[in-house]
Amino acid sequence: MSFDYINLILRPMLEGAKVTVLLFFIVIVFSIPLGFILTLAVRSRFKPLSLLVRGYIYVMRGTPLLLQLLFIVFGLPLIPVIGDYLVLDRFFAACIGFVLNYAAYFAEIFRGGLLAIDRGQYEAAQVLGLNKFQTMTRIIIPQMFRVTLPTVTNEAVTLVKDTALLYAVAVPELLHYAQTAVNRDFTIVPFFFAGLIYLVITLIVTMFFRKLEQKYHYE
Amino acid sequence: MAFIEVHSLKKSFGNLEVLKNINFQVDKNEVVAIIGPSGSGKSTLLRTMINLETADGGSVCVDGEYLLKDGVYEKGPVIKNITAKMGMVFQHFHLFPHLTVKQNLELAPRIVKKEERNAVEKRSAELLAKVGLADKADAYPGNLSGGQKQRVAIARSLMMNPEILLFDEPTSALDPELTGEVLKVMKKLAHESITMIVVTHEMDFARDVADRVIFMDKGEIVETGTPEQIFNNPQHERTRAFLNIR
Ligand SMILES: Nc1ncnc2c1ncn2[C@@H]1O[C@H](COP(=O)(O)OP(=O)(O)OP(=O)(O)O)[C@@H](O)[C@H]1O
Ligand SMILES: [Mg+2]
Repeated sequence: MSFDYINLILRPMLEGAKVTVLLFFIVIVFSIPLGFILTLAVRSRFKPLSLLVRGYIYVMRGTPLLLQLLFIVFGLPLIPVIGDYLVLDRFFAACIGFVLNYAAYFAEIFRGGLLAIDRGQYEAAQVLGLNKFQTMTRIIIPQMFRVTLPTVTNEAVTLVKDTALLYAVAVPELLHYAQTAVNRDFTIVPFFFAGLIYLVITLIVTMFFRKLEQKYHYE
Repeated sequence: MAFIEVHSLKKSFGNLEVLKNINFQVDKNEVVAIIGPSGSGKSTLLRTMINLETADGGSVCVDGEYLLKDGVYEKGPVIKNITAKMGMVFQHFHLFPHLTVKQNLELAPRIVKKEERNAVEKRSAELLAKVGLADKADAYPGNLSGGQKQRVAIARSLMMNPEILLFDEPTSALDPELTGEVLKVMKKLAHESITMIVVTHEMDFARDVADRVIFMDKGEIVETGTPEQIFNNPQHERTRAFLNIR
C-alpha cells in the first residue's frame, strides 16, 4: 500500500469529513438552544403548548432519525400542491432534520437537568429579590448546563456517528467517499481510514467537552 | 401599630390545616424565637411571611404596609417592596453552588439593586470579615463546611440590608460542633438594629438571645412570653410537655 494510494483515497474522504464536521457544528449550534426552548415550552403553564411539544418530543424520539431524514428530504416534495415548494437543498434539508431531532433529545436532557435543581435555589433567589428571568439566567440555567454536561457530551459523540446517515439521503460525506473507494478498488482499507477519522473527530469532541466540564467544575 | 403584625393567619395544605389562627406582633429590633414540635407549622409561618407560601386567610402587615389584608394579597410590586425588607436564612443554606462565596454575596445587590461594583465589593468584604470568612471569598460553597456555608448564607442575606431577618432552623442541618460558630454570628446580629425571627431547636440560644419566645403546636401559638416566662414558668400543659417540665 503506497503513500500515493493513501493520499488518493484520503483526499476525497477528508473533503467528505468537512461536510461531516460542518453538519456537526450546525446541529450543535442550533439544536441546543432549540432544545432548551422546547424544555421551557414543556414546562409552560399554557397546557396546549406543553402538550403539543410533549407530543413533538415523543414522535422525534420514538421514530428513527433515518426515517425523519428520508421524510424531509424525499417525502416532503411528494406532498400535493405545496410539495413543489419543499424541494430543498439536500444538505440543508438534512440539517433541518438533524436539528429537529436532536433538539428533542436535548429538550429531554435539559428537562431532567432542571428537575435535578433543588427548589431551594429558586426560593433563595426569590428571597434575594431576583425576578423570574434573572433567576433563570443567573441561577438555574448555569447549574442545569453543569448538571447535563456529561449527558450532552454523550449526545455530541452520538451525533458525530449519526452524521453518517447523510449517506442515506445521498449527501456526499466521509462515509460516502470511503464506500466509493471500497467499491472501486476492492479493498477495505478506506473503511479503516474512515473509522480512524471518526475516532479523531470523536476524540476532539470529547476532549472539548471534558475541558468544559473541568472549567465548570465548581468545587 | 407594631413593626410586624400578623392577624388570623390561616394556611392549609390540602386537608391539613397547618396554620390555624395565628396572631402575633413583633416590635422593631426585637429578637423573637419560635419553638415547637416538628410539624407544628413554624417553617410555614416564616415562609408565608416572606411570600414563599400563599396564605388562605388573615393579614400580614410590615412597617405599616399590608402584604396580605383579610385574605387578599396586595399587587406584585407592593409585595416585592415589602419582602425586600426581609431576608431569610434557610436550614439547608441554599447557596448558589456555581458561584464563589463573593459572587453569592454580590449577585443580588448588583443585579437587583443595581448598586455600584465598588460599594458592593466593599460591603461583601466587610460582611465576610464579620462572619469570620474573609479568607473564603473565592471558594465555592462545595468546599465549605456546613457552619461556613451557613455563615455565608447569613452574610448573603445581610448584603441586601434587610430590616427583618427570618431564620428557619439555621443550625439544624449542622454537626453539633459547628452550631456554635453560627450561633455566635447570630448573637452578634441580635445586638444590632435588625429585627430577627428565629425558628430554632436551640433552647439555650432562645433563652439567652431572644427578647421573646413563641411556642407553637399544631398550627397554633400556644403561648408567648419572655424566655424567663416560657422556660421557667410555662403556663400551658403543652408547653410544659414540650420543654419536659413537670
Ligand atoms: N408543601 C407542602 N405540602 C404539603 N404539606 C406540607 C408542605 N409543607 C409543609 N407541609 C406540612 O405542614 C405541616 C407543618 O410543616 P412545617 O414545615 O411548617 O412544620 P415545622 O414546624 O417547621 O416542622 P419542623 O420542626 O419539622 O421543621 C407538616 O405536617 C408538613 O408535613
Ligand atoms: Mg421547619
